[in-house]
Amino acid sequence: MNKPLKKIVIVGGGSAGWLTAGVIAAEHLTNQDSGLEITLIESSDVAPIGVGEGTWPSMRSTLKKMGISETDFLVSCDATFKQGSKFTNWMTNTNDHYYHPFTMPQGFNDINLSPHWQPFSDKISFSDAVCAQSHLATQSLAPKQITTAEYSFAANYGYHLDAGKFGQLLQKHCTEKLHVKHIIDHVTKINSSENEDIASISTKKNGDITGDLFIDCTGSASILLAKHYQIPFISKKHILFNDSALAVHVPYENEQSPIASFTSSTAQTAGWIWDIGLPSRRGVGYTYSSSHISHDKAEQELRHYLAPSMGESAANSVMIRKIPLNPGHREKFWHKNCVAVGMAAGFIEPLEASALALIELSAKMISEQLPANRQTMDIIAKRFNDKFLHRWGNIVDFLKLHYVLSQRTDSAYWLDNKNEKSIPETLQELIKLWRYQPPYHYDATHTEEMFPPASFQYILYGMNFVTEPLRHQKRLIQAGKADKLFNDNIKQTQQLLSVLPTNRELINKIKKYGLPKI
Amino acid sequence: MTNSVLLNNIDHQDLKVITERSPTYGDNLWYAQTFPMEFKSIQAYYPILFNKDPNTGKFFPLALFGFENDENLFLSDNKWTADYIPATVARQPFLIGIQTLNEEGIEKKQRMLQIDLDNPRVNQTQGESLFLAHGGSTPYLDKVADLLEAIHHGINDSNDFIDALIEHQLLESVTLDITLNDHSKHQMLGFYTINEDKLNELSSDILMSLHKKGHLQAIYMTIASQANVRKLISKKNEQLGL
Repeated sequence: MNKPLKKIVIVGGGSAGWLTAGVIAAEHLTNQDSGLEITLIESSDVAPIGVGEGTWPSMRSTLKKMGISETDFLVSCDATFKQGSKFTNWMTNTNDHYYHPFTMPQGFNDINLSPHWQPFSDKISFSDAVCAQSHLATQSLAPKQITTAEYSFAANYGYHLDAGKFGQLLQKHCTEKLHVKHIIDHVTKINSSENEDIASISTKKNGDITGDLFIDCTGSASILLAKHYQIPFISKKHILFNDSALAVHVPYENEQSPIASFTSSTAQTAGWIWDIGLPSRRGVGYTYSSSHISHDKAEQELRHYLAPSMGESAANSVMIRKIPLNPGHREKFWHKNCVAVGMAAGFIEPLEASALALIELSAKMISEQLPANRQTMDIIAKRFNDKFLHRWGNIVDFLKLHYVLSQRTDSAYWLDNKNEKSIPETLQELIKLWRYQPPYHYDATHTEEMFPPASFQYILYGMNFVTEPLRHQKRLIQAGKADKLFNDNIKQTQQLLSVLPTNRELINKIKKYGLPKI
Repeated sequence: MTNSVLLNNIDHQDLKVITERSPTYGDNLWYAQTFPMEFKSIQAYYPILFNKDPNTGKFFPLALFGFENDENLFLSDNKWTADYIPATVARQPFLIGIQTLNEEGIEKKQRMLQIDLDNPRVNQTQGESLFLAHGGSTPYLDKVADLLEAIHHGINDSNDFIDALIEHQLLESVTLDITLNDHSKHQMLGFYTINEDKLNELSSDILMSLHKKGHLQAIYMTIASQANVRKLISKKNEQLGL
């Protein structure tokens, strides 16, 4: 029990496996005898699912800590900059739109601007009033210049990337730079020890692989956590209905077509269509509820969406890939000496791109709280499970909020989404609260909250939610401060609009010159 | 805007170039690009710092002349008050153009002397002549041609120097805090200098390789040139009558 934890075995490659390997390896001196040993077993028969093309800003520090050059990453993963999400037709289906940018409202730590903005809600949108980023979106501008150092920014950003290429880059980096051992083999059996821990994993060609901690990154198959340990699945389909996706790659009109710097999400009759701009192509897909629309009808809606940008005939003939989704997560994620990361732990529809972010956070917590020995593992496991159950709950509430606030009544899908039975009590409570006070620091009940109060503000006020004004003297005194911040935002916006290149211009320059390291 | 054309002794026979130094001719420069091959002369007068090219993000060394845009503390009475004018300033209004020639089916790149006809120094009445009456070039023009060759090689060498600095993480951003005699404080941001802590940590192997390429000398001249910041401050005080 006191034997130090030395050997980690990760089962499954893809973004989950390699990100987890990289995050842990970068922190635990895998290059030294006294360090950790990390082995990743990947089956050659299983193709990674290759979705998850949007990241959060957290990916910048994740990559940086792993020692990956941002220039290498951008060029080899066909990646570009993501500055947030744009939601179209979510409110009334009348070509309405709003933004959820990655930048916090001006002065967010000092002052809550939302009540100061609300009286002017008919003149300026919330995101335009409190931050510069949504202004950048309309011109597809980059969040930095060619002189800005790697991973630094003028406006906060994450990435849009090619998930397949990302997995390859991570694999190369982990095996060549971080001393992660890579075994390509088929897992045939899981061998238990007396205390029901996993003792080893039998493989076809490499025999039994032993380990102190096993990380399940086998995707929805969840070979260790679900198949071996029979940890039950908690479905969230009664809350978030989308259980299917249709995905397609769309070419640009020409090599200089603008690259959007926000993930576009356009609501449909039974779900929504994502539209992600990479340097070489767009990735587009429809995620929908199969209980509300037939696959054929969904495919029609997707082709109809594609027609204006790629032409009628191309839109009708382009190859569409169907991906089943199963919204929900395991009852717990760390059991005995096994912890699941990525789709092996759970999956919720791609709205707000939480999949990669959850992998990063899981890997980070495993790495930073890595049990010293078997004795402390159960304590860490309990912490991990509590933390991630809370995070899944936070994601479910946040995603559901997008649907609950919609005023659409044009299909059963939108009406069912507002049915009280489909809304978690925690969310109902929050909405009740927010009618009388805007989300702010007290709404972040945990550290490293998946979606901070600022995100809730962007969705609520982007979707015309009204918080009753407080007639407090104290708040009114702050009016001068708020005015100053609104004016600062106008100045900052004008300054950024005048100096920032477009996403396309910057990506072309990075391919030619690279970004400076400092 | 520039209007650069290949220089020739027919179209440009009568051109003259004014060589005096003043803001009228664009000499009110805050700083100018330099390169290690002229560091010996530069470090005698100017602080050497580094900046990024706004178009490429690549670093380049520079000689500092002032503390803000358009301020050149070395300009006085239409003269440059230091004995050495950095080559990239002295070259005006000439530049090098690359011409691709096809010689017996083989593509060759050739450097050609160009002149910016829109530069205010260029005229037909005053200054240095470019060509002699019979068409040959004047000693002035020969000197300019040599200068441009030196710049061309100097900047190529400078790029190697920069790559080495970046490889060994020897650059760091620097903030110059300046206090004038009237106690007013000024801050200059956005420039880079040699990271001396990193330099001191370098192994002898790396120091040797830097030395062999001549980079080590350039690094130490850059560090030594920092003493010129004080001279620049004196000039500023003087100019303000402080």
